[in-house]
Amino acid sequence: MKKLYVVLGLVVLCLVIAVLYFKVIAPQDVTEKEAVVPEEAPVETRMKAGFIYVGPVGDYGWSHAHDQGRIFAEKQLPWLDTVIVESVSESDSARIIDRLVQEQKCDVVFTTSFGYMNDTVAAGAKYPDNIFMHCSGFKRAENVGTYFGDLYQMYYLNGIMAGVLTKTNKIGYVAAFPIPELIRHINAYALGLKAVNPDAKVHVKWTYAWYGPDKAKEAAQALIAEGCDALAFTEDTPAVIEVGQEHSEMGKQIYTFSHYSPMQPYGVDSVVSGQLMDWGGIYVKILKSIKDKTWDNKDIRWLANEKAAMLGGAPGEIINPKFVDDLKKAMVNSKEFGKISAYDLILKRYAQMQQGVDIFDPYDGPIKDNKGVVRIKQGTRASKGELLSIDYYVDNVEGSIPK
Amino acid sequence: MEDIIISVLQRTMIAGTPLLLATVGEIICERSGILNLGVEGVMSVGAVVAFIVTFLTGQPWLGVAAAIVAGMAVSLIHAFASVTLQANQVVSGLALTMLGLGLSGMLGKPYIGKPLAIKMNSFAVPFLSDIPYAGKIFFNQSPFFFLAVGLALLAWFFLERTRFGIKVRSTGENPGATETHGVNVSLIRYICILIGGGFSALAGAHLSISYSKSWIEGMTAGRGWIAIALTIFALWNPGKAIFAAFLFGGIFVLQYLLQPLGISPNFLAMLPYATTLIVLLLISLKDPRKLNAPAKLGEPYKKGER
Repeated sequence: MKKLYVVLGLVVLCLVIAVLYFKVIAPQDVTEKEAVVPEEAPVETRMKAGFIYVGPVGDYGWSHAHDQGRIFAEKQLPWLDTVIVESVSESDSARIIDRLVQEQKCDVVFTTSFGYMNDTVAAGAKYPDNIFMHCSGFKRAENVGTYFGDLYQMYYLNGIMAGVLTKTNKIGYVAAFPIPELIRHINAYALGLKAVNPDAKVHVKWTYAWYGPDKAKEAAQALIAEGCDALAFTEDTPAVIEVGQEHSEMGKQIYTFSHYSPMQPYGVDSVVSGQLMDWGGIYVKILKSIKDKTWDNKDIRWLANEKAAMLGGAPGEIINPKFVDDLKKAMVNSKEFGKISAYDLILKRYAQMQQGVDIFDPYDGPIKDNKGVVRIKQGTRASKGELLSIDYYVDNVEGSIPK
Repeated sequence: MEDIIISVLQRTMIAGTPLLLATVGEIICERSGILNLGVEGVMSVGAVVAFIVTFLTGQPWLGVAAAIVAGMAVSLIHAFASVTLQANQVVSGLALTMLGLGLSGMLGKPYIGKPLAIKMNSFAVPFLSDIPYAGKIFFNQSPFFFLAVGLALLAWFFLERTRFGIKVRSTGENPGATETHGVNVSLIRYICILIGGGFSALAGAHLSISYSKSWIEGMTAGRGWIAIALTIFALWNPGKAIFAAFLFGGIFVLQYLLQPLGISPNFLAMLPYATTLIVLLLISLKDPRKLNAPAKLGEPYKKGER
């Protein structure tokens, strides 16, 4: 009898292995075959780029947007092959970079999360013949460059909207990790808010996860319970918008701002606008410059001016039509434009941002931090270095940055 | 302030629901003498199956049913290994967790980032939901909440007050003596493992189709392990489990309100395990018999041997 069980067990085990093989290993073989260089094309003219993502490409946030950019670049550049590795933990990136260089023979590796920074620089020293591009960091080397598409200007515009729409004067923000990028977003959001509603304050909750829908959900619920009625966020899921939509449907209007990907469909009654990022142009530019040997390790930073950062929660729609009338009715006083509707102010500021940071930037002084210290003086604008290492809250953000 | 308290309590009930379901399942399983460390894996399988079936058919309750069946099916592996083959239950349970997490990640890959169109509306109990405060907190909730509390009470009644419950308990205490009374120990243990698996899968289904309404790899986020700790914390009693599960659900919700006070989220995440240790210590020091642990928990039973 016992022998029979052992045999049965073995059969089951074989079945499981077979299923695992066909489901997991086999599809990878297929994708690799597709990526193999066609024989007629001369090998030296082709280039292979590896992309490392911190979340799944289906996250509908950061990693999704990068992958859209990669697909765009692959379509634009016929000599380009790409390979991706998704959901790579920030502590595991060195191993994945090794794999991309050694096994996949990538010429260029894009590492797309702040936490990959040190591993990327180390890899640059280890593989001097390859080029590495790290997104959102500040460490560079001979063959390690940095690039970033920054959304802080859009957060400023979202802040204006939150400022005129709020009824409680408490504005919420769900944030993943306390790093300079997010502090920049929070401050820009607060500065936009301050421009139209100096009495309102920004309240921040940290989830300590780029991808944690349950955490983002509880953080958003906590903010709403504390009285916030407008929520922006920087993490990679539409969870905050789902919470906003839930409350809005039950009769308590919560305004939310979509982040990174067009998330308006998740909250048609709640999403006012948001920030959209288009990585396609940046990737094409970088890959082209590597190809024609004009690449250098200078930091590449794209904003509204380069059309990398765009306003809106849905493609081609900068403000949800549901809220346009409210914004048109709200009149605000602007130093530059006098008495103006919030809607017109947003459009004017957006146009100025698209002309370049010299025309208008949220970080034009004077700016005080929330302890009363003047950080950016009257008549000056925050330098790139100051923005990259920003570590204070502006004066209408509550609390302090966790260490 | 009032709003905050109501909101926290309301969210506590929702956050505690999956913990309660999984804990009650583990209690039933452990009372029959089988330690099942596979809760996390089975929960994950339940979550992914519930999501896929609901996504494809648009029927949330069909998704729940499918999840329970799937949860029982994978638990069968543990039952086969630990009861029939009398293998080490710790090893087999851990293997089940790894298998479940891997399997669910693989099955769920195409569904990551897809929102569920179906809404699981909260259910308001007539009359009771109009009671001030309590109505909002307890009687206008996700159907899973009522299911979880109902099942916990049922499990208590079942274990403590019925003939079958006595069989289950005595199987966990002294399988040899139970067998001499004409009870099929293996059958009882099989049934309890399957029921436990069904409960864990139900907890997973709640996460994917009601709580998050989306599937992602690793969405169970250690809740299975908390359930195992809570089983001990609740002293193997489904009634006490209700209290324990909502206590720790509350801690999860509270961490975002406590943040401005500078309390580290890592500290709060540690609490369920730390309190379990403290409770174990205190009771063991005072009177170990009160611990109520099934005497033969984790020991394989061989028929005819003593």
